[in-house]
Amino acid sequence: MERIYILVSGPLAWIAWSVLILGSIYRLWQVFSLAKQKEQVLFSYISLKYALRSIINWSIPWNTTNMRLHPIFTGVAFLFHIGFFVILIFLSAHVIMIEEGFGLSWPTIPDALADVMAFLVVGACIFFGVRRIVRPEVAFVTDWTDFALLGLVAAPFLTGILAYHQWGDPLLMTILHMLSAEILLISIPFTRLVHMLFAPFTRGYIGSEFGMVRHVKDW
Amino acid sequence: MTPRRFSFLLGASFIVALSVLGAIPAWTQDTVLKTQAFGTLTRPVALFDHDTHNEKAGLDDCAICHHVYRNGKLVAGESSEDKACSDCHTLQGQGRQPGLRVAYHTACAGCHTTKAKGPLACGQCHRR
Repeated sequence: MERIYILVSGPLAWIAWSVLILGSIYRLWQVFSLAKQKEQVLFSYISLKYALRSIINWSIPWNTTNMRLHPIFTGVAFLFHIGFFVILIFLSAHVIMIEEGFGLSWPTIPDALADVMAFLVVGACIFFGVRRIVRPEVAFVTDWTDFALLGLVAAPFLTGILAYHQWGDPLLMTILHMLSAEILLISIPFTRLVHMLFAPFTRGYIGSEFGMVRHVKDW
Repeated sequence: MTPRRFSFLLGASFIVALSVLGAIPAWTQDTVLKTQAFGTLTRPVALFDHDTHNEKAGLDDCAICHHVYRNGKLVAGESSEDKACSDCHTLQGQGRQPGLRVAYHTACAGCHTTKAKGPLACGQCHRR
């Protein structure tokens, strides 16, 4: 089991981050060359000013009409995304591993806060899953891959909670935690999690078309 | 002495004797690392029983852990078991000398990684 830990905390982590970075560059290049081939118009109508205006307005919770139509979903979605990135970047255990591996360090959040946020992220995944079953308009466009992706995202947080509280064997839980996070990283460029890369561009384009051409707000 | 009083004294002395006996291992063995230099701890103190560890790991050379560095170089043949780690390793690293936490982690987990033996994950040493 010690050898598995060394594998997942070393070589597999390098592989996962490399696949994420190279895969992301490939996916961006792929979609941009497709746009160049088929949708030249995208480049004529993109505007940094209107793109940023739209991105900023859609980054504020309950700021858009659509968000106010779905207030609970909006709150949960914001909590989920904030929790995801705050834990990823500012959890003390993560920063300690980076400091000891690379000599870089930055401020961290208290473990108790990270603990609450991790539970909220897992809770949000359950909420998203239930929503996909009970809301007819969402159930209509849902298949098993949606639940698989939610499981993939929830897994590192669930195993992180188990490892932190030492529920179950800490070595096994830490191995599962690192492994599930690596699978998640590798999946980002090649699944619908790719919205992490594409969302700013789709939002930016819609914002540009609405702002520059139609002279209306898109929020 | 009434039987009631007697049984109270017997019970009380039993509890006192038990707590004294229970406290003995704590100050006769190196079972807990010295952590005063850290101030408030964020995780439970790492479990470490010096003698049990060295017996299990087959360590005879003190300098493997209790090393001496001079001008950034490891001094062969010298050891520092008369000093606390925190005598040299300040909380923040200084130049190439790692800070106290980094020093502990690289000394313990670094060796465990090289040997592929012993605790590696956070929760294995910092038991709740």
